[in-house]
Amino acid sequence: MKIIVCIKQVPDTTEVKINPETGTLIRTGVPSILNPYDHFALESALDLKKKHPGFSVTVISMGPPQAKAVVQLALALGADEGVLLSDAAFAGSDTWATSYALSMAIKKIGKADIIMCGMQAIDGDTAQVGPGIAQQLGLPQVTFCEHMEIEGKTIIAERHIDGGSETVELRAPALFTMIMPKDHPQAYPSFTQIYSASKKKFHVWSAQDVEAQSHYLGLKGSPTQVSKIYPPKKETETQVFNLSAAAAAEKIVEIMKKEGFIK
Amino acid sequence: MPSLDSISRNLMLDSLRAYARKKITYDYIREKDAANECPLEVLREMYDTDKLGVHLLMIPAEYGGVSGGTYDIYRICEQLARIDLGIATSVFATFLGTDPLNVGGTEQQKEKWLKRIAKERLMVAYAATEPDAGSDLVNLKTRAEHVIKNGKLAGYSITGAKQWISNGGIADLYTVLAMAPGGPSWFLVEKGYEGFSPNHHEDKHGIRLSNTSGLSLDNVFVPVENLIGGEEGKGLLQAQAVFGYTRLMVAAFGLGAGWEALENAIRYSQQRIQAGGPLCDKQGYSHKFLVPHAANLEAARSYIEYVAGRLDSGEHGLQTEGAIAKYWATESGNKAAEDAIQALGGYGYTRDFPVEKIKRDIKITCIYEGTSEVMEMTIYRGRWQEHLKTRGGFYMSMAEEMENLVKTNPNVGADVCALSLRALTAVLEECRINKLTRHQHVTFKLGSLIAANEIAWSFCRTAASEKYSETVKFDRKTYETMARVNAKNTALKTAIEGASLVLSAADEPAGFSEKINAKEIEKRQKGLLADMDFIAAALKQAFKAR
Amino acid sequence: MLEISAKCIGCTKCVAVCPFGALSMSGKKAVVNMSACTLCGACVQVCPVEAISIKRDTASKDFSAYKGVWVFVELEDSEDLSAEGPVRKVSFELLSEGRKIADALKEELCAVVLAGKNRNYERELGEYGADKVYFCENPEFTVYNTDIYSAAVCALINKHKPSVVLFGATVKGRDLAPRIASALYVGLTADCTALSVRDGLLVQSRPAFGGNIMADILSPNSRPQMATVRPNVMKVSPAQSGRIAILVREDLKIDKNMRRVKVLRRKIDRGSGSMKIENANIIVSGGRGMKTKEKFKLIEELASVLGAAVGASRAAVDLGFKEKSHQVGQSGVTVSPRLYMAFGISGAVQHLVGMKNSDIVIAVNKDPNAMIFGAAKYAFVADAHQVLPKLSELLAKGLKRG
Repeated sequence: MKIIVCIKQVPDTTEVKINPETGTLIRTGVPSILNPYDHFALESALDLKKKHPGFSVTVISMGPPQAKAVVQLALALGADEGVLLSDAAFAGSDTWATSYALSMAIKKIGKADIIMCGMQAIDGDTAQVGPGIAQQLGLPQVTFCEHMEIEGKTIIAERHIDGGSETVELRAPALFTMIMPKDHPQAYPSFTQIYSASKKKFHVWSAQDVEAQSHYLGLKGSPTQVSKIYPPKKETETQVFNLSAAAAAEKIVEIMKKEGFIK
Repeated sequence: MPSLDSISRNLMLDSLRAYARKKITYDYIREKDAANECPLEVLREMYDTDKLGVHLLMIPAEYGGVSGGTYDIYRICEQLARIDLGIATSVFATFLGTDPLNVGGTEQQKEKWLKRIAKERLMVAYAATEPDAGSDLVNLKTRAEHVIKNGKLAGYSITGAKQWISNGGIADLYTVLAMAPGGPSWFLVEKGYEGFSPNHHEDKHGIRLSNTSGLSLDNVFVPVENLIGGEEGKGLLQAQAVFGYTRLMVAAFGLGAGWEALENAIRYSQQRIQAGGPLCDKQGYSHKFLVPHAANLEAARSYIEYVAGRLDSGEHGLQTEGAIAKYWATESGNKAAEDAIQALGGYGYTRDFPVEKIKRDIKITCIYEGTSEVMEMTIYRGRWQEHLKTRGGFYMSMAEEMENLVKTNPNVGADVCALSLRALTAVLEECRINKLTRHQHVTFKLGSLIAANEIAWSFCRTAASEKYSETVKFDRKTYETMARVNAKNTALKTAIEGASLVLSAADEPAGFSEKINAKEIEKRQKGLLADMDFIAAALKQAFKAR
Repeated sequence: MLEISAKCIGCTKCVAVCPFGALSMSGKKAVVNMSACTLCGACVQVCPVEAISIKRDTASKDFSAYKGVWVFVELEDSEDLSAEGPVRKVSFELLSEGRKIADALKEELCAVVLAGKNRNYERELGEYGADKVYFCENPEFTVYNTDIYSAAVCALINKHKPSVVLFGATVKGRDLAPRIASALYVGLTADCTALSVRDGLLVQSRPAFGGNIMADILSPNSRPQMATVRPNVMKVSPAQSGRIAILVREDLKIDKNMRRVKVLRRKIDRGSGSMKIENANIIVSGGRGMKTKEKFKLIEELASVLGAAVGASRAAVDLGFKEKSHQVGQSGVTVSPRLYMAFGISGAVQHLVGMKNSDIVIAVNKDPNAMIFGAAKYAFVADAHQVLPKLSELLAKGLKRG
């Protein structure tokens, strides 16, 4: 089976800082990382490859030239082949246009049995690209998937639903978006793996290479538009009390009475 | 060896960080530090090629390594030092121990031993120092005598004692320097050779996670094929050939551990409220404990990267440059760590916060691989020759370069750096005319001034360069301001200390004060306070409280 | 295209704020590298002289045929695959919010229900503001399936042409909505936390970059404008008893073979004794400042006195004080209780985004500069370890007497 994993390079949102004066993001010194959900999707794909000799894993990422770093990380972790979709024509793509571009690249790679994506990217948190690709390619999808087993062309998958989980059955080809199990320690490659990754097959494709039509790409091809970016606003007037512990406890009881939480 | 591509290098750094986050927590380090214990299980994992394999960096790919260049090794050393300088030292000992093989080994020796180090994850120790011979290797007392069997040289019998050997008690392989009949030579000694035994683990001030032991060699038989290079008497040359390079690694240690301490202080200063506001917003705090160290350490980085670039492009030696890098980076790091304790006040003095340990650890960087004083001497010796050879042109041409730089970038302090270099030339010149270098104090002091000036020169160039390296965490304006502050400080130091050095030992030479041009240098201090304010704000921004 | 006009004064502010490093200075002017630019607009905001603009395709289309605000109604999943659960709370939230949008647009509010059987949805949904219920009845709808639901909703949209369609940002909503948006080539905004109307367009506000920043999103050139809306953020309006929506039955042909993903079994977690924080009226929450798992019990004691749910910051969860299911914040659960009590929580951005919709926040922290105080109505600079036992004691006494 041929597995394609879609990955994205994202700023580490736990390190993102806001300029308090302008309310804008400060990018200097914020490290770029492989989106953690994609990291898990990749690890799941590599597990399948380990279990099933003959499986291959190709990774694809769309982004600026420096996004090559996440493709190389994936190759170091064990992917067989890497593709970076990079073109000025993609700039400003929303989830629709991104799904379109990626689906065109997946068509070019061809013959994919399983496509895996992270549930969402931590910079956008949309979770829309995976289903978007599935729609573009006309594939069935299993979103919020945590685990899968494959036998022949039949796949049994565990997925998360609100308030529980369900087990589903389907046949390849199909698309999966992966959630992360709790406390999953991320795999990292050894120095030897990193060294040999730079010798693996790696391609950079433009919009033209994947025969994507320019009017579906970038800002022009994106139905949504960002009209404004601003810092989360603070709405509450704060009353501050500097009291001893006992007095504070009494005051809290008084407030709870006043606000009607207790009688 | 040229360096790896930036992506591969940064992936290796990421893997090292990921490993450390998981396995080398502060609690773990603290426990080992208190117990004076080498974390052998962690080291074994770091050498495990399936898990990490840090030791592969020094080994060319054809022998099973990953062919790291100087720049790569500097980056890894900096990161290791940020994790723990004891662990860093242990890894460094393997790098160092592998060096004589890399430099002087025959093809067969490399084939055999480098492959074994890579594959069998051998921990290596570099055994040169003796109780009576530190950086001064000429007094070598360990002897290697010929062992003749059937009329043929079968090997050597080594007898002597080695002291303060990193990995001494835990290494699998030792490169031992001994006096052979043909002169000092390196020998490969494996753990378990008869007559060879390590002594107890030293009880040290810092780097207590690094195993340090003496070695006893009592008629240890070493086969002839273990003589590195197959030729006696090459030992000192082989040792010196890599000083430029190995000292750069120690420089990276000073940089990494110093920044770690400084970063702790910067983050802490935003949480600690005193007299109505956070400490970081008070000049009495930030301009003393934070800003100067940030500028010094980034200046050190620029010079380390400059030297790494030259070594990676195929230059050899660079002993003086290696010494300047080590001297500046380790002294700056040491001071930064010292002030980090002060910056954290009572907390800094406890072991609940890591700065106390960093301070104890980092001191070693000013001592091993040549003390700071040996560095002052080395720097002076190297550059004094250049000064004489070029009749003072050496620093004048650097001054001209800075004057040209002002035209393309007026923001990095190249103007004041040029003034400083001209003042330095004047000081050197007066020392020559008045034969002041007969005083050792003058020579060491000159070494220190020379280091400061070359560092300032390098920082100006780096800050003005079109594209910054992957390591620069600050925006252009901040970096330019740091270079400017560093140049101003250096010029003032050169003018005052240089002039007083000459005047302390000679009559005032005619026209000396014009040549030093202290007035102009003082004038160019204008704006320094605003610059420091700006850097203080940038530091706060870059290292937010967690 | 990002355009930088001659008005640029070379102040470099835009270079510093660009999250993608796409801007640089050339000479004394800012220039953009379009291969890195994502047109996020951060630079536009910061430019002091309005020299930067994003040029968009302005070709306006005629959308006058698109009318009506739709809410996709979600039913609870159950372990019994032949049973249909009740309407989920998020759907009432959407109806309440959708009502305001519909009124602002002067359009009708419609609920879309796909189910095996009608359970008086016109009454239940009418009480929460729906004017109309588009109801599709088919046994194939009982167990949710992406392809079947997507085909059905697409067909309804194509037939009735609504101007706005809202989904809950639930697992189901986030599975379904992007599929439909992709098929129809229309804009979809994920996980919105506020909606409003401006110039006849739906303004969709959502957090991005881990909650560090807010963005307003528009879909001006396609219809319907679609959004998924974060649960527990919008308030449910009081039910208007007796208000009945018009029931419109839609007959859709569903091909059984469309079901390519089959649900074999389902497991619903029955809460592990403690109250679920998503639905709690009062939440007592603890953070890193609680110091140990032992001390965290003080939080649990107070919660049990009040009959409240227990919450925890990410730090507290990471330190093992409480299970992940109690984590409030960006990577945990978003809550909106009437009262949120925070003890020893510093208030990192990622925590604040998860609880800032609480009606009233009481925070206790030793640090007078704790970020949590910014989100609190009542801030107590005090040691949580000392306040908690006293408070539990006072309340226990009071409640016994009352």
